[in-house]
Amino acid sequence: MRRISAGALAIAVAMMWLTANTTADQQAAGASTAKPAPRQGSGQAAASTAKPGAKPYKAPRTPDGQPDLGGFWSNATYTPLERAQNITKEYYTPEEFKKVMQDAQARDETQTTPGTTADVHYDFTQFGLDKSQHTIAQNLRTSQIIDPPDGRLPPQVPAAAARAQAQAAERKQQGGQYDRVQNMPNGSRCIIMGGAGPPLRDAGYNSTYHIVQGQGNVMVLTEMIHDARIIPLDNRPAPPSGLKQWVGMSRGRWEGETLVVETTNFNGRNPVGGGRGGGGSSDAVKVTERFTRISDEQIEYKFTVEDPNTWTRPWTALNYLQKTNGPIFEFACHETNIGVSGILAGARADEKRAAEAAGAKTGSR
Amino acid sequence: MTRRTAFIAAIAAIALLAAGSAARAHHAFAAEFDVNKPIKFEGKLIKWDMVNPHSWFYMEIKGEKWMIEGGSPNQLIRQGVTSKTVPIGTTLIVEGYLAKDGTNKAVGRNFILADGSRLFLGGSAPGQPK
Repeated sequence: MRRISAGALAIAVAMMWLTANTTADQQAAGASTAKPAPRQGSGQAAASTAKPGAKPYKAPRTPDGQPDLGGFWSNATYTPLERAQNITKEYYTPEEFKKVMQDAQARDETQTTPGTTADVHYDFTQFGLDKSQHTIAQNLRTSQIIDPPDGRLPPQVPAAAARAQAQAAERKQQGGQYDRVQNMPNGSRCIIMGGAGPPLRDAGYNSTYHIVQGQGNVMVLTEMIHDARIIPLDNRPAPPSGLKQWVGMSRGRWEGETLVVETTNFNGRNPVGGGRGGGGSSDAVKVTERFTRISDEQIEYKFTVEDPNTWTRPWTALNYLQKTNGPIFEFACHETNIGVSGILAGARADEKRAAEAAGAKTGSR
Repeated sequence: MTRRTAFIAAIAAIALLAAGSAARAHHAFAAEFDVNKPIKFEGKLIKWDMVNPHSWFYMEIKGEKWMIEGGSPNQLIRQGVTSKTVPIGTTLIVEGYLAKDGTNKAVGRNFILADGSRLFLGGSAPGQPK
């Protein structure tokens, strides 16, 4: 383990920051072991940051009067989407959270063993890609999912399992993963990363977003891997259902202090919810996001996922966007993605060596 | 691709997924580079492409030009690293693994400066707005 002293200092500073900056929602959890109900509604969420007697936080305004969500934000988090099976409470105490952070950081900084497959990689700590070097919105919650109350994804419907089987069969028919570029994962091909959203999910590294508000539109730029989503605010209807896109098509509106964005028209090939249980979400999925600025430094980000072809009921998750520095260096993934050709060349070289070894074996008989 | 190769590739992909943070990768490195061919090279930096999804360090090693793959530059840039932070001509020691296809290419597991310190070794407090 390297950087032990830096890591310990980081945790100490984080805890100081957490003590000073937790929202009332989080403080309630930290102050006792009682289970406060999840905050619902933008007004309450915004008010939840206020100290007793103080005025509720009111976001600064854009020139045309919208609550200002603009700027650079990070949603890197150590809070998992789903609550771990062995945890039954909604919040950690600050002491428990400190331990969770320390353990997570230790995992981040653990070096792989030389000569193992996992070691065939560059060092994340060198390139600043482990989360201990990110801007993180601290959160005492034990899961991002706040509904269902158990913090877990709802059970899947039978159609989801059937879809997963069909997808597995299709993959098998197409040959091995490195037989051709079409068989490789979306991220490796620079098409889209799982966290690109909607909904906006922690990408693992480079979990940064740039929000720009113009008159009548909001743009959300996702750093990984450079997707710009334009969200019109003029109450236009959703497009015809036959029009499908990787990131769906979004329509936004203001409800008080909260920007509500509804997205439909997904192509179903960029699974929402991490694809647990296989098959991911279907093209019928609808994502409703709620952005509420709750302080100068944070946006509360809540999203609800409805997909009757995948889950038995809708589910809702909560995370925070923490203000960070910009600008974002253009990811431009496609232009310089030498990895794909390198992987295919590596697979062909492996095959050639295997064929030569087989030939030598045959010849020696 | 033979069945055996496909099987090994699948296991490699699963191992990468299971290995935690160090393997939260953009692509399957073990498919491109050879775990059985570790290297430790010393050479001079002749060009650094600060590009996504992965940086490429061009180095002159014993009179030959080599390409060494490194991480995404975005977080480095956020931490103040620029393309001029590592001057061309800097001597670097690279530990990593050779490409399977036999070209002068490797993944740079570690980049170490001549004085033994790590290149770009970061570290900052989590949760600190930067």
